[in-house]
Amino acid sequence: MIDQTTSVSSRPWLSGVHEAFPLLGGYVPVAISFGLIAVQAGFTPWEATLISTLVYAGASQFLFVGMIAGGAPLWLAVVMTLLINVRHAVYGPNLAAWMNASRWWPWLMHGLTDQIFALAHHRFPQLPEAQRLGWFAGAALLAWASWILGTVLGALAGDWLMARWPLLGEILPFALPALFLVLVAPRFTSKRWSLALAISIGVAMLCTLTDYTNIGIPIAAGCGALCFTLIRFTPHKEPS
Amino acid sequence: MSSAMWIAVLASAIGTLLIRLLPLLWMRRRLKRLDGEDGVEAMPQWLALLGPMMIAAVLGVSLVPHRLDAVGWLASAIGVLATLAVWYRLRSLGWPVVAGVAAFGAVILIAGMR
Repeated sequence: MIDQTTSVSSRPWLSGVHEAFPLLGGYVPVAISFGLIAVQAGFTPWEATLISTLVYAGASQFLFVGMIAGGAPLWLAVVMTLLINVRHAVYGPNLAAWMNASRWWPWLMHGLTDQIFALAHHRFPQLPEAQRLGWFAGAALLAWASWILGTVLGALAGDWLMARWPLLGEILPFALPALFLVLVAPRFTSKRWSLALAISIGVAMLCTLTDYTNIGIPIAAGCGALCFTLIRFTPHKEPS
Repeated sequence: MSSAMWIAVLASAIGTLLIRLLPLLWMRRRLKRLDGEDGVEAMPQWLALLGPMMIAAVLGVSLVPHRLDAVGWLASAIGVLATLAVWYRLRSLGWPVVAGVAAFGAVILIAGMR
């Protein structure tokens, strides 16, 4: 396993693949579920795979397929899909400072999911500039490929897989919160940061429990940022 | 797939790509304009804050277990503790995730046996 403090590698794309590997525990079971649900909603396996390849945005794909299966107008399904994905707008600018002028970066933005952003935001400052593009390509392409292959698997054999190993679909997705935890933990460096991050986590949990998962992410992040801006802790004064 | 459906899928795909791409291009132009300044310093403060907060929010969303019963919450809590314990010791990315999933899975399996 990769040490977070090491950064030098002769093949940065391989490091990216290696470090994105834990994502598969979350991506593959969810992609299998998507393939299965898409086929049950009347899409062919080929169409489900195409949606995963081109749209490549987890939650919004479920909504897209569900709305269409429920008879919603296509334009509304597109608008809702894009609204759910609006949160991705802050990801690119947050990474821009660590990107060089390569023309490959814009193309790689197709792979900028929540998880890849979290991983890159953590790793870019530690990596030498020359390695970031290769690292990002390796991590993003592995995640994309796993999402597509998971969808194919779910569309073709989802029923059988879920019946055969019902617990795997329940256990493996814990890889995602575990990975996010490892990415967030080093940021608890002061009372101010800790409170803001805890509020963001707590509000997001509350929103999820009340079925406002997607809108909950930007709301929770906004609450955390607001808390960080408004609340300042004064250092203890020694009694004279 | 009907042609209308094709257009809907393509519109969703292109729209999602533009949501990810255009803000990056805007930021790159801004950084170019502020040539000479440290890139991270050149970022608007609200934007620099939102990055970590978004990651924390996605953590919050993913922490809510699929099964909202005592077993689900207990498994999540033990998975979190195992992840943090191994991270605290090793400060690595991979092993804490393995430990968290193993601990989470162990609780689910043990609860399933009873």
